[in-house]
Amino acid sequence: MQLKPTVRDAVSSLRERETRYKLSVYALAILGLLAYLLPLHGGLMTSIKTISEFAQSLPMAPPSPSGFTLDPWFAAMDILGPSMINSFAFTIPAMVFSAVLGSLAAYGMTMVDWRGQVGLMALFVAATFLPKQAIVVPLSRFWSIVDIHAILANLGPLNVWNLPYVQDYHATILELIITHSAYGISICTLLFRGYYLTIDQELMEAARLDGASITQIYREIIVPLSYPMFAVVLIFQFTTIWNEFFYGLILSAGGEAAPVTVALNDLNSGYAQLYNRQTAGAFIVALPTLIVYLMFGDKFAEGVR
Amino acid sequence: MSTLTFNDVTKRYDDVVAVEDLDLDIEDGEFIVVVGPSGCGKTTTLRMIAGFEEITEGDIAIQDEVINGKRPQERDIAMVFQSYALYPHLTVEGNIGFGLKHSTDLSSDEIATEVKESAEMLGIEELLDRKPGDLSGGQQQRVALGRAIVRDPEVFLMDEPLSNLDAKLRAQMRTELQRIQEQLDVTTLYVTHNQTEAMTMGDRIVILDDGKLQQFDTPMECYHRPNNEFVAGFIGEPSMNFVSLTRDGDTLTREGFDYKLTEDMVASIGSKTDVTLGVRPEDIDVVPEPEVRNDFAATVDVIEPFGKEHNLYVFPENADFEEPIIVTLSGRRRFDEGDRIGVRFAPDSVHLFDGEQGDALRHPPNDDDEIPSSVN
Repeated sequence: MQLKPTVRDAVSSLRERETRYKLSVYALAILGLLAYLLPLHGGLMTSIKTISEFAQSLPMAPPSPSGFTLDPWFAAMDILGPSMINSFAFTIPAMVFSAVLGSLAAYGMTMVDWRGQVGLMALFVAATFLPKQAIVVPLSRFWSIVDIHAILANLGPLNVWNLPYVQDYHATILELIITHSAYGISICTLLFRGYYLTIDQELMEAARLDGASITQIYREIIVPLSYPMFAVVLIFQFTTIWNEFFYGLILSAGGEAAPVTVALNDLNSGYAQLYNRQTAGAFIVALPTLIVYLMFGDKFAEGVR
Repeated sequence: MSTLTFNDVTKRYDDVVAVEDLDLDIEDGEFIVVVGPSGCGKTTTLRMIAGFEEITEGDIAIQDEVINGKRPQERDIAMVFQSYALYPHLTVEGNIGFGLKHSTDLSSDEIATEVKESAEMLGIEELLDRKPGDLSGGQQQRVALGRAIVRDPEVFLMDEPLSNLDAKLRAQMRTELQRIQEQLDVTTLYVTHNQTEAMTMGDRIVILDDGKLQQFDTPMECYHRPNNEFVAGFIGEPSMNFVSLTRDGDTLTREGFDYKLTEDMVASIGSKTDVTLGVRPEDIDVVPEPEVRNDFAATVDVIEPFGKEHNLYVFPENADFEEPIIVTLSGRRRFDEGDRIGVRFAPDSVHLFDGEQGDALRHPPNDDDEIPSSVN
């Protein structure tokens, strides 16, 4: 079909406008990408330079052959190694506990009818807004009164602290697990509650008529339906607890139980600022959260959709 | 298989009465359709039987055993939900077998056999490995039915189960549901707002309005001898025509319209002065010109052609009617909008209702004054 010249002009000018629009969107995206990646690039370059090379070159520039070194990475790994294990040791259990307890609490407050739900829910909401600074003093008082080390020592016929591989500072790891679990429950409950409110109430009624008890309904219906939400909550909790600094500092006091975020400070030696070692350490600390996102990112996207 | 009894059952939410003094005696194996406009309390009634709503007053008994305090899972009831409420993460087999797994001691082999049997009955045996999300609406409906059937409960509850299906499938499932219910012979309560379902499916129908029982009878009885104006207007499509009139001796009148009463009509009215005259659209005769007493002239306002019949919306001449009178006529007769016709309410088609209370005063006599209780 032959189009009139005016129509053809209009069409081509529309196309042009669309192309221009797309170009500007891509340009903006690339700019944004650079803005995010440049500091990382600078950090990476710094972490593989000797201190003198760092002093002589631009932060973004790659190291010269003579200035290249991986020593800062090995040094950082040596120093951070034990505290990495500490961080994993409390992050993984605390993440699982807070997610499971949050899901249970949300189930109890949405799917099951009983008096006082609203009041309890209000407490959970309030807890999510509680600033850490306000809790720190009561928290450290609490753990000085509740002496986990002493309680476990007198629990059974044998003293757990005498078992092989068990160290005294593991009591502090336990404190961190309990503290992070408790602090995380409120936000986990809110996240699960929002999700459970969207589940068809008739599903619960059908299951009740089918003879399932409240716990059976939770196990066989609610949990399978909340897998995407578990992915969201677990990733969120892993990142939050792994990156947490304040409680880790207060409870470990920088000792043997120190989490990796606290141990980062040990990368400085005396007076000199070892920038290469610090940036290498920062990358090492950030790596686990990055891996978690890469592995479960699609599940996360499904859950927050 | 059980009887189901309601004794003065009342449900109140704060100060709103959802169901008031409901008394029903449902026999073993009956198919009961509960029908009424939205908000009439029909779903609340169903949910009280299931145990999802507490009963404020009175009691409900299955086979003479009061179930008021029992939890839903102890009532041996199966329900088909409007949304089907299928477990989305389970296969069809898992969905149908869920109830057996939790309410019986059957082994998983026995459950699989039972599930297969019900699936065959519903023609869905080849879907057993699929998830609900992969099924069409009609197939999901069958799975929901299968889940109820397989339990072999005392009572079936169905909450508008066909309302999410398209018209053709709905008609098909209607007969199929009846077939299955007859085969299983389980006492069934079926809630709907669709009066076609009520008329065609129910052994008896419960008509509710505003939480109160209006009539509990066979569909034929409800149609031919409605208890009151509400039932008369609710059952039948298009609805019965109503004309509010004042009695003057042996005549019912309003401005520009009067209707001379027969002797038996006068007797049925007694001393009442406000009377509503009701005529079903299909019982009205149309003649070219008013001929005898009570005939009146009217103008055709709108015609709704359906092929086998038309609905004529007519306004009487001289009288000031707010609502048109609807006349249903054979599709072979020809009319045009604006035509002037004669309308006749024959005495053997006139219902009379108390103008204030709405109670029925008189129904047209039937052949032998008997109404067939069922067509088959």
